[in-house]
Amino acid sequence: MPDVISQNMPFLLQGLVTTLRIAALTAIGGTLLGLAVGVAVQLRLPFVAGLLRVYIEFVRGTPLLVMLFICYFALPALMGLHVTAEQATVLGFVLFIAAYIAEDVRSGLRSIGSGLVRAALATGLTRLQSLRLIIVPLALRRIIPALFNQYVRLLKFTSVASVIGVQEFTGSAMLVNARVFAPVSILIFVALTYLILCLLLSSVGRVLHAYLAA
Amino acid sequence: MSKPIIILEDVSKSYGAVPVLRGCSTAVSRGEVVVVCGPSGSGKSTLLQCINGLEPYQSGSILVEGVEVGAKKTDLPRLRTRIGMVFQHFELYPHMTALENVVLAQVHALRRSRKEAEARGRRLLDRVGLASKADTRPGKLSGGQQQRIAIARALALDPQAMLLDEPTSALDPEMITEVLDVLIELADEGMTMMVVTHEMGFARRVADRVIFMDQGEIIEDSPTKTFFSAPVSQRAKLFLSKILSH
Repeated sequence: MPDVISQNMPFLLQGLVTTLRIAALTAIGGTLLGLAVGVAVQLRLPFVAGLLRVYIEFVRGTPLLVMLFICYFALPALMGLHVTAEQATVLGFVLFIAAYIAEDVRSGLRSIGSGLVRAALATGLTRLQSLRLIIVPLALRRIIPALFNQYVRLLKFTSVASVIGVQEFTGSAMLVNARVFAPVSILIFVALTYLILCLLLSSVGRVLHAYLAA
Repeated sequence: MSKPIIILEDVSKSYGAVPVLRGCSTAVSRGEVVVVCGPSGSGKSTLLQCINGLEPYQSGSILVEGVEVGAKKTDLPRLRTRIGMVFQHFELYPHMTALENVVLAQVHALRRSRKEAEARGRRLLDRVGLASKADTRPGKLSGGQQQRIAIARALALDPQAMLLDEPTSALDPEMITEVLDVLIELADEGMTMMVVTHEMGFARRVADRVIFMDQGEIIEDSPTKTFFSAPVSQRAKLFLSKILSH
């Protein structure tokens, strides 16, 4: 390992921890929000479903960076509260990825035949129970590959947070580079680290899907 | 045979302008086995699904144990626990084991304890000859085995009647018998059943009555013997000649 890397390892690791923290929080928050939005839209909840569709289309038609700026500059100004760069990042990413996850959840829900719903209702389960006990768990199992694809995207997106001053992995690496100027070794190290993490994440998804697939 | 458990009076239903049920009336008494047959698209499945409120109907009345199925205030989930239903394509929950399939509604609809539900589930799986498959998922089972588990799932709620919608139509020929045997046993024990089926041997053997439907109408509703020996309508005669000749 080049000296520039090993000498700056503690600092780089700190950045990596921040990256992983943001990715994990966002994955959890985005999945929960995406699940709620996807179910609400698919059930065509009156009034709410329409609003949520607007949200989904808004996010899908807006660059991630703009979303991040909105959460860091615009929202605090509008609502008069102070947020840290990392809080704004998590909020922006959750809102961003949840819109995509909601679409995945919807396609998962659509893939479940009406026969299964009828069977569940016929055993005396309520609509809510059949949704909670059968339809949603089954839909989630089916979209595990799509979900992990979103998590992989998310992990890479975290590098964008360096733009608003979050010292995540890429940002830390670029700070090191500004001091020692060794872009080749530093960027190769950064890229390989992301690559390894993404490959790991994908294989977790594959194993989970194989294990849970019905 | 006592008073009817299911009563249909002048039930009609349509999808938009297309009528699917026209003025259907019949009654099923406790312990009675009624086979419903007729050409495809004649409304047999719809009729069955109306009885436990899976399909709405526009006019007429359906009473199950004296409760009007179509009434707004009817507690449908509760009513449905009183009637077991079995579907053509089994519709087992694919992400659950056979036992979990049989346990789920007992715990969540009837509020039985998990322990009690599992004990009952295992007894029922044993009864349909699948005790050894309790921990297997439906995807690893044959059609006949899946349908027997679906029957166990319906029986687990201690239903007062069973509705079976073409329970053997999706099965390979060699698996039909194993499912029919379970149904024959049920009938012999006095279970009230309405069975949509084209298995006329089964009908002759266990049915008390046969209902023949065509184009949404109940054309004949006769004791089994009468239906096979002297069907009244031309349409029933034609239908019988078609399915019995092969």
